[in-house]
Amino acid sequence: MKLAKTIIMPHSVKIKRRLHISRKLSILTTFSTLVLAFGVSGIFFAMIGLNPLDVYSYMVGVYTSPTLLLKALERAIPIGLAALGLSIAFRMNFWNIGAEGQMYMGMFASTGIVLLHAYYDLIPDYLVLLLMILASFVTGGLWCGLPAFLKAKMRVNEILTTLMMNYVAMYFVDFLIYGPWRDPKGYGFPLSIPFPEYAKLTMIFGEFAYSGLLLLCIAVALAVVILRYTKLGFELKIVGEGIDIARYAGIRITKVITLGGILSGGIAGLGGLAIVSGIIGRLRPRASPGYGYTAIIVILLSALNPWLVVPVSIFFGGIFVAGDILQATLKIPGAAVEMHQALIFLFIVVGEFLKRYKITITREVVR
Amino acid sequence: MEELVSLRGIIKHFPGVIANDNVSFTLRKGEIHALLGENGAGKTTLMNILYGLYRPDIGEIYVEGRKVEINSPKDAITLGIGMVHQNFKLIPSHTVLENIILGLKKSGLVIKSRKIGEEIKKLAESYGWRINPNAYVWQLTAGEKQQVELLKILYRDAKILILDEPTSVLTPQECRILLQALRRMAKEGKGIIFITHKLDEVFAISDRVTVMRKGRVLVTKETSETNMSELAQYMVGRPVIFTIEKKESRPSGEAITIKNLKAFNDKGVLALKDVNLKVMKNEIVGIIGVTGNGQQELVEVIAGLRKASGGSLIVDGVNIINSSPEKIIELGIAYIPPEPLRYGIAPNLTVLDNLFMKAYRYKPYSNGVIVNWKKIYNKAEELIREFQIVPENPYAKARSLSGGNLQRLILARELSGLIGEKIPRLIVAAYPTKGLDVGATEFVHKTLIEYSRKGSGILFVSEDIEEALMISDRVAVMHDGKIVRVFRPGEVDIDKIGLMMAGVEIAFK
Ligand SMILES: Nc1ncnc2c1ncn2[C@@H]1O[C@H](COP(=O)(O)OP(=O)(O)OP(=O)(O)O)[C@@H](O)[C@H]1O
Ligand SMILES: [Mg+2]
Repeated sequence: MKLAKTIIMPHSVKIKRRLHISRKLSILTTFSTLVLAFGVSGIFFAMIGLNPLDVYSYMVGVYTSPTLLLKALERAIPIGLAALGLSIAFRMNFWNIGAEGQMYMGMFASTGIVLLHAYYDLIPDYLVLLLMILASFVTGGLWCGLPAFLKAKMRVNEILTTLMMNYVAMYFVDFLIYGPWRDPKGYGFPLSIPFPEYAKLTMIFGEFAYSGLLLLCIAVALAVVILRYTKLGFELKIVGEGIDIARYAGIRITKVITLGGILSGGIAGLGGLAIVSGIIGRLRPRASPGYGYTAIIVILLSALNPWLVVPVSIFFGGIFVAGDILQATLKIPGAAVEMHQALIFLFIVVGEFLKRYKITITREVVR
Repeated sequence: MEELVSLRGIIKHFPGVIANDNVSFTLRKGEIHALLGENGAGKTTLMNILYGLYRPDIGEIYVEGRKVEINSPKDAITLGIGMVHQNFKLIPSHTVLENIILGLKKSGLVIKSRKIGEEIKKLAESYGWRINPNAYVWQLTAGEKQQVELLKILYRDAKILILDEPTSVLTPQECRILLQALRRMAKEGKGIIFITHKLDEVFAISDRVTVMRKGRVLVTKETSETNMSELAQYMVGRPVIFTIEKKESRPSGEAITIKNLKAFNDKGVLALKDVNLKVMKNEIVGIIGVTGNGQQELVEVIAGLRKASGGSLIVDGVNIINSSPEKIIELGIAYIPPEPLRYGIAPNLTVLDNLFMKAYRYKPYSNGVIVNWKKIYNKAEELIREFQIVPENPYAKARSLSGGNLQRLILARELSGLIGEKIPRLIVAAYPTKGLDVGATEFVHKTLIEYSRKGSGILFVSEDIEEALMISDRVAVMHDGKIVRVFRPGEVDIDKIGLMMAGVEIAFK
């Protein structure tokens, strides 16, 4: 071989989809990305003059202290519900980025029922919560059903519509709460009236974390049944494989996509209900600190498996709680905490990518 | 004679199967080497190894006498190896030129596309092909796509060409053109590995032939020293009957009546101009014609997958034109699509899912809401056995099946009468033996005849005149979006049929 003719190309990066993802690789990647995320945010904490180890110990503390764990559990409930909704949308390859907005619509609907009842008193008290559940499901469902229908009928890209509708929903709730829905006895704060006891999700065990967990588990079971055992579940899967093949199989595509969208948004709507009627007890602006976006990461990490949603949401609920504690105790600025959370999310997303795709960097010899 | 390639002792396992079991294979300079073997014998796997898509578990590869490691198609291309896959890998929304440039190695910052376009045109012309480099791939016929695939390889100066079942998608005319071109390439000193299930092609073109079965090489011979029945025997392990006994058909009632059917193709051209045809129950009607004369559009309209712009389809006195695919499935119209990988199979789902992607919603597999997976599993096992699908695991991913086994899967789904537990009223079979080995082809023919004698009407689209004449009760010649003539096999001789297919008007007697 004549060396003179050999050209060495130093970098050639290839990205290939992995056909098979081994469990070992999966767990290892998740674990090491988490370690990396903590490592990097540790550097930032050190830069603003904190001992990273202190910060970490507070964070770990969330999962070891029973009271804090309950707080994590509370927050896991809206996150988990939104993620379950996504498990349905993602199964049919419908990239619903709008769980956040669907949750706001759920909050809107539940608060609406409370206000209606408070001012007109049309139904007995014990039916109010039931009606709230129904209303938040339907409203959230419609909020996702619309983009789903548009996609099915006119191929409108759902990523754009669902994302945009998040802002519509959020500002709509802002408008209501700064305007007509503001509590007249609330000293001008942008808050709704506090929910009466019968409109709160605390009724069963007195503690929202427990009744919420029950609600979440019921929703998980429901999602599993829908996805694995019903006709609709199988149809979602085939639609997820492509429109051509679904048409060939004689599936009513518009119906399936719209129905899947409604279910997905409806379950996220229940997440909204959990926020106002479980965690906060009233409606306020920006009541969700991005649970609907966190849900996307949760469902991807859970590999679309509904059962895994429960522990994974609790973990992420814990991250939110840890954020609050860090702000309160170590006086870390809110922005730094949010950045830390964002780093964790970012690293996890990168890890997920690495799991699904194989990247090889080769030095090629071209003769 | 100089050896271009030598594979030695190749072993390749997949979970649960040995796809290649100690295979040795050589390719000489200037030779066309036919590779034969039943579905799932391991032909594609062996070639994928040579092309760097898979690594062998054990075994050595020599190219031009030097031992090489081929880790990726890029390595293979560098070594002068090119492959045309069983299923085309071109990007339909790109032009021919773009597809070819995409495959090139770094060609500097500025890609001289005009120059390359000219060169490709010239290269194509040297093989007698007419290709417009600026045409979009989706506009091309199967034969043209194949030419593009070959050009892509030839443009890179490959000297070792692998063609995986290149003729299974071609019309006889396109096939002749391809074989001619291959012969020229061999003369230029290239080595060509040619996988096929059609024995006549082996004798028409190859210098040597290798037969594989169950992952092993059974024999490699000079083509001139063997004959058809010997090869068939090697492939299947038993003598194969090339003709089929068929009882007289007793048509009873209409399965479907097609009247003045009109439809556009993807390019917006009227592809069905005025189709009139009746298919009776208990009868096989073969449609022959040069591909692209409306056959695909016709079957798609019947299956409800393409809108008709006029005419009617009458089933039991009712016009079902432009009904939903669901409705058509419920009427008992089974459909074996011409492009199974695009329309007929979901590669990421399991064999079981694919078998039941139509029947899951009907009794007894569903009660309207819940799907009875246990019942489905049992039935799937039964179908896998009956249609001899390999691997036998219902949970195997469809993508891991060999080409022929995918076709069996579709047959199992469409023919076995899963819906309503009765045999289909009409079976629309577009090229159902494409990619099948000799034994499986025989199986399909027998099955279609059996169903037609049990009461199904069968519309059988084929590019192979002999096949159509052999199994059909009546044959319809399609040309330019119309049925130009219907006759019984034996009534018209082959030459005249060829003329009719080419659009020449022939007076009948
Ligand atoms: N990626 C894969 N994963 C698992 N099994 C595979 C994979 N690819 C091939 N196989 C199995 O290996 C065997 C050989 O397959 P291969 O595709 O090489 O057959 P073939 O001779 O090309 O058949 P055909 O004529 O049907 O195309 C089959 O049993 C097939 O199911
Ligand atoms: Mg093959």
